[in-house]
Amino acid sequence: MVPLSAYVAVSAVLFVTGLIGVLIRRNFIIVLMAIEIMLNAANVNLVAFSHYLESMTGQIVALFVIAIAAGEAAVGLAIIIVVFRGKISTNVDEINLLKW
Amino acid sequence: MKFTLTMSGADLLLLLPEILLTTWLCVVLAVDFVWPQLRKDRLAYLSVGGLAVVLVTLFWFDLAGISGTLFKHMFVVDRLAIFFKILIVGTTLLVILASMDYVRRFRFFRGEYYFLVLMSALGMMFMSSANDLLSVFITVEFSTFGFYVLVAYLRQDLASNEAGLKFFILGIFAAGLLAYGISLVYGETGKIVFSDIASASATPGLVIGFLLIFAALGFKIGAVPFHAWIPDTYHGAPTPITAFLSIAPKVAAFAILLRMLFVSLATFKPAWVVLLVAVSILSMTYGNIVAIAQRNIKRLLAYSGIAQIGNVLIGLAAGTKMGSDAMLFYLLTYLFANLGAFAVVIAVGNVIRSDEIEDYSGLNRRSPFLAFAMLVFLLSLAGVPPLAGFIGKIYIFLAAIDEGLYTLIVVGLINVVIALYYYLVIVKKMYINEPVDPSPLRISGPMTAVVYVGLAGTIILGIYPRPFIDWVVGATLMFSNLVGPTASVLPPTVLPFGG
Repeated sequence: MVPLSAYVAVSAVLFVTGLIGVLIRRNFIIVLMAIEIMLNAANVNLVAFSHYLESMTGQIVALFVIAIAAGEAAVGLAIIIVVFRGKISTNVDEINLLKW
Repeated sequence: MKFTLTMSGADLLLLLPEILLTTWLCVVLAVDFVWPQLRKDRLAYLSVGGLAVVLVTLFWFDLAGISGTLFKHMFVVDRLAIFFKILIVGTTLLVILASMDYVRRFRFFRGEYYFLVLMSALGMMFMSSANDLLSVFITVEFSTFGFYVLVAYLRQDLASNEAGLKFFILGIFAAGLLAYGISLVYGETGKIVFSDIASASATPGLVIGFLLIFAALGFKIGAVPFHAWIPDTYHGAPTPITAFLSIAPKVAAFAILLRMLFVSLATFKPAWVVLLVAVSILSMTYGNIVAIAQRNIKRLLAYSGIAQIGNVLIGLAAGTKMGSDAMLFYLLTYLFANLGAFAVVIAVGNVIRSDEIEDYSGLNRRSPFLAFAMLVFLLSLAGVPPLAGFIGKIYIFLAAIDEGLYTLIVVGLINVVIALYYYLVIVKKMYINEPVDPSPLRISGPMTAVVYVGLAGTIILGIYPRPFIDWVVGATLMFSNLVGPTASVLPPTVLPFGG
């Protein structure tokens, strides 16, 4: 049987991967993917805890996280397309109209 | 494991305001589809009518003292939740009235605009009732989805698109932190309902989990160091949405913070007080100092909003019933003053098509009413007597004095002076400088109504705050067992002006 700590370690690695991706990658689509990785790190945690604590709550929460992540991707890609039409770019550094 | 869901009529009654609003937003969308030729102003009035019914229902709930929990404690209705819902629905109503002129400028999707505003409002109403970590996650995301679209609503405007993108990226980044934080707290305690978590001990997982959750909520309220999205998003978004964004989601996020800190984490109070004091000092100081350098009024109000959130956090940092009372009252004064100031910005922007502070020169010559209204709102935000902001600030400082948070009060007072400076710079431009174009400004009926409501709220809360103080004191009765180490709670009767 795989110990709980293994799942938590995997999830922590995923979370940190996503976090680093958000902070250093310069393309909005990649940033979006990195955030999806962060959400999935939470899902791994939730399902693993749910199994080891023998409570269903975690799995229910994970289902909602998946649903919301899907909604986010839909809205986010639409916004990225609108920006791309105006700018012909999805690079973080070129989206710089607003500053003081 | 077996799940059962039983709901009686009495249970459904608790959901009545939300059910009404859900029905109504479907009606608004359906009417827009069925009669595409219908003037979109009618849709706005239809939405306002629906919101007025919801508002009346909420006042009835408050007076009748209806309370209870639903769905295994996921959803709670008590006077605190109702207070926040009234604030949110009231803000939405005023924002829709203030949007009507602005929406005429859109070339597409005028009808859906009102639908999206109502949907965000519904999400925020659920946020005020959230009572476990799952409902926190769902409701926070639900309310933000509408905002992502609304901020990027001006499709032809690059600034609006960019604002939407920045808001979206930081919003879902916060969602990622929130989800991971929730998973850690769940893993440590096995529970997600706020009151069940209260018995937990401080393990590393729980501490990291709650820090992540607070970071995510910090994004929602726009406190330093999570404020990065605020100025750009406020600047690029359609102005009525900026007004909405500057009040409603913050109010709703404070409802969650209040429950989480006062119910789940009451035993860890010394730890979170330190955290809140630091965030509050940073927010007030950063917001006010950067606001001085702004040349765009929306950006200025964005930074002043960051500073105002710092002030609200003083009440939360006090961590007592009086602190929460003061916080609720402050949010009420902030609602009227900030919404009023944005209403003036929308009215002026509709005519001159500019949000630069320079273009407010000589506003008094062009529209004495708008200039006077702006003066009142800015002075209330600064905390000048006898306006609402003054009572709000006094109340919140008294709550902090009781807890001996003297550093916070000194920093707060210094910030009042800094804030007064940049607010008065605008006042000087409006009243002393000469206008480039002295033609009078025309404002529409709904816009005037919004400005009048803002003025009435700001002045009445300032000179006769008694009933409102009674209201907030009643709303937080559930926290009356929370007293600080000194436990010398000043009764609200010491407030000036009959308060």
